[in-house]
Amino acid sequence: MKSNRMRNILFGLFVILLIVCYVCGIGFIIRNLNPNEKEGENSKHYVAVITKSTTSAFWKSVFAGANAASTEYNLTISFDGPENEEDFETQNQMIERAVKNGAEVIIFSAVDYYANAEAINEAAKQGVKIVVIDSEVNSNKVSCCISTDNYQAGCMAGDAVLKSKEEKLFVGIINFDKNSANGQQREEGFRDTILSDPRVTIVETRNVLSTIENSKGETIDLLTKHPEINVIATFNEWTSLGVGYAIQELDLSEETMVVAFDSNVVSVGMLETGEVDGLIVQNPYAMGYLAVERAYQLINNLPIDETRVDTETTLITRQNMFEDECQKVLFSFD
Amino acid sequence: MKIQKIEKKISLSAVMTGVVACIVLITLLSALFFIIKFYENAMKQTSITSSEQAVVQVMNTVESYTGDMAEIMEIIAENIGKDNPVLDDFLKNLLLIRSDVVAITTYDTAGRLLNCWSDGLQLKDELYQNLSYFEIENGTGLVISKPHVESLFVNYYPWVVTISQHMKNFQGEDILVCMDIRFSNIASYLDDVGIGQHGYCFILDTNGNIVYHPQQQLLYSGLKEEKTEMLTDFQDGVYTRSNVIYTINTLENCNWRIVGVCYVDEMITNKVENMIRISVILLLLVLITALIAGNLFSKAFAKPANQLAKAMGDFEEDAENFHFIPVRGTSEILSLSNSFGQMVVRIQRLMDKVRREEITLRKTELKALQAQINPHFLYNTLDSIAWMCEEERTEEAVEMVNALARLFRISISKGNELIPIEKELQHAQSYLKIQNFRYKNQFTYHFDVDSGCLGYLCNKITLQPIIENAIYHGLNRLIDEGRIDISIQENEDGISMKVKDNGVGMSLEQCEEILHREASDKTGIGLKNVHERIQIYFGENYGISIISELDEGTCVEIRIPKIQEGGYEIK
Repeated sequence: MKSNRMRNILFGLFVILLIVCYVCGIGFIIRNLNPNEKEGENSKHYVAVITKSTTSAFWKSVFAGANAASTEYNLTISFDGPENEEDFETQNQMIERAVKNGAEVIIFSAVDYYANAEAINEAAKQGVKIVVIDSEVNSNKVSCCISTDNYQAGCMAGDAVLKSKEEKLFVGIINFDKNSANGQQREEGFRDTILSDPRVTIVETRNVLSTIENSKGETIDLLTKHPEINVIATFNEWTSLGVGYAIQELDLSEETMVVAFDSNVVSVGMLETGEVDGLIVQNPYAMGYLAVERAYQLINNLPIDETRVDTETTLITRQNMFEDECQKVLFSFD
Repeated sequence: MKIQKIEKKISLSAVMTGVVACIVLITLLSALFFIIKFYENAMKQTSITSSEQAVVQVMNTVESYTGDMAEIMEIIAENIGKDNPVLDDFLKNLLLIRSDVVAITTYDTAGRLLNCWSDGLQLKDELYQNLSYFEIENGTGLVISKPHVESLFVNYYPWVVTISQHMKNFQGEDILVCMDIRFSNIASYLDDVGIGQHGYCFILDTNGNIVYHPQQQLLYSGLKEEKTEMLTDFQDGVYTRSNVIYTINTLENCNWRIVGVCYVDEMITNKVENMIRISVILLLLVLITALIAGNLFSKAFAKPANQLAKAMGDFEEDAENFHFIPVRGTSEILSLSNSFGQMVVRIQRLMDKVRREEITLRKTELKALQAQINPHFLYNTLDSIAWMCEEERTEEAVEMVNALARLFRISISKGNELIPIEKELQHAQSYLKIQNFRYKNQFTYHFDVDSGCLGYLCNKITLQPIIENAIYHGLNRLIDEGRIDISIQENEDGISMKVKDNGVGMSLEQCEEILHREASDKTGIGLKNVHERIQIYFGENYGISIISELDEGTCVEIRIPKIQEGGYEIK
């Protein structure tokens, strides 16, 4: 009798449990019938892009790529960068602000290989994932790095110089901030390549501020001090323009070979008119796009294909600049 | 045994749950399959339709745009023959009005740049390369180039297409007029055209160059590829290639084609996944329902059915003592239970009746048998008596007659089957006396009787047939003096009566046979009869057993229970 009652009670509990399951299941179905309502606007993930600068054509192209990807992957995205390309302190503040604003991923391009490391580590500690583009930072918390193979790009610039028919090559280097990783890597690649040739003498290397005025002034100074220089190499957009304008001013476009970096409407014009003889063009659009794509994968815990992605670089000279493929690389579509 | 076990293990409720689950699963899966198939087809159709619609719309828009351009070219053609200041003004105004026209250039037949109009752009001093000029044959009419970068102006490199046409200038010379157009208008329009979630339209020219693509920069950056080569080979129409629907339409007024790209699987997969999820939950719910139903079912049906089955089993095992308790349950079960209950009662009644009838029948038979007196025995005995009287052995004759009388009296015993052992003993003694006379003391006999047994009852005429058997079959053929020992002992199980002779003995087969042989005319009641009677009255634990050895003798044992007077009732 007693066991019978127990059994009845157990059976009752069982039925109640099943009914609860039932109700839950039906609720789930009803909720599932309108799956679109689940993804509200406020559930959009936030990705912060912090770069060295925001004004150059290079970075605008990066932002365009990032924007395209953020639309495709339904992410909120912000772009930030200091006014001048040496200002790592502002960059660090931007990192802090991005963390405070709830960024899940920071896409970062370091002004200073060392000085930005602590801020990045701090952000990573707060659970923010880091994707590095263009220029690296001294941190092991970086999930993924998307950039030009800077050493290789330097080598490419070197190869372009070595195509010169001159008997003696006196090389002047105008590089930007010494603590910026990508500039140093490019210079290293460049040096390693040209020094294999006995014709080459590196006259002087100048580290200038990453502005047109400063690099232009330094170039003019360099060329007046060392008139024997017949090759100038420079490694980013602003210094390229500075060098170009200096050559224009000194009217040395025939005598001096200039290998520069990045495509800008003006530097392309200089390529056409002869102040600049070779442009190493990166793929900033792809950089931005891929960075945001990785950010999306990180947010959704999807496996990341590679932790290091080298985007393409192309050497553009006056001869090939209007070829179909080079047009596509050189001129952005807007 | 094994089959029974398995049958026991699969309970009705489990079977029901399983069956319901299977049916639901199959139905659901097949329904799902067909619905998905239908849905897929419908979605594909919808995708194709919406793709076609989108492409037609884009085509109309682009066509009207290129129509506009063609019109402008026509107007230019009308005005190009005018004098320079008029033409200049006209073209400047045109460039002001149409902001998407970047430049209008004219070339002589050798391809030299004659003139260039633009909206305030600075023409390069030295043209390194002019991408806007390309040779076209005279008389082909309007030709639209593939997209290229504008290379005419200082620091101005937008992507344009060039529309070229041969015309006559005011001097009547043949010149080539080229108009460079930024297609930003079409571009922003195309960017907004969506087919499905990720579908889009783009413009391809007949040579397979992409004129404009909403993801142009992605294509240029090498992040995306469009299968332009494949698409160039396609005629206008709708093509499905590995879940991508391409809809292609060629513009009527130029060599541009509109390609609509639409991803089928993305539209369908989402919904199908959702459907599958819902189905799985539905399935679970149904399973739960089936479980509950199965449980209820088993409570209402299987359990009472099991009870009923058990009751039947019990009944089978022991029909006589079975007492049926009605089983509660559904009406079917109730009617089953009632029927079974009635059946049990009827069967028990019938069994009782049959047994009673059997017993009565047997008794009648036995009585008839017992009433029979072996005529040979009677004749022989009477002969003996007569012979004694002749020889004037009166005393012996009297004794003989007395013994015979006693024999018959006890044989009849008022029709009672059970008589005290004492009486049975007297009967045996009388018989032995008579036989001893007849066989002229060929054998001796001894009684060894436990006096405590005398009061118990036994079947009448049990010892006599055995003794008779011993005399006829054991001692008759014996040359030496025969001897019969009769002992009656009480033991735990009952009473054991033994008749032992030292006759010729029997083989095992003979022993068996003797127990099953009907009595012959010559002898009286056979051993079989005695054995059966004891068993009918006292059950199978009692009866006769024979131990015999050839040339040694035979011992027949009769076992009966201890029953006092009045302590017995017929089972």
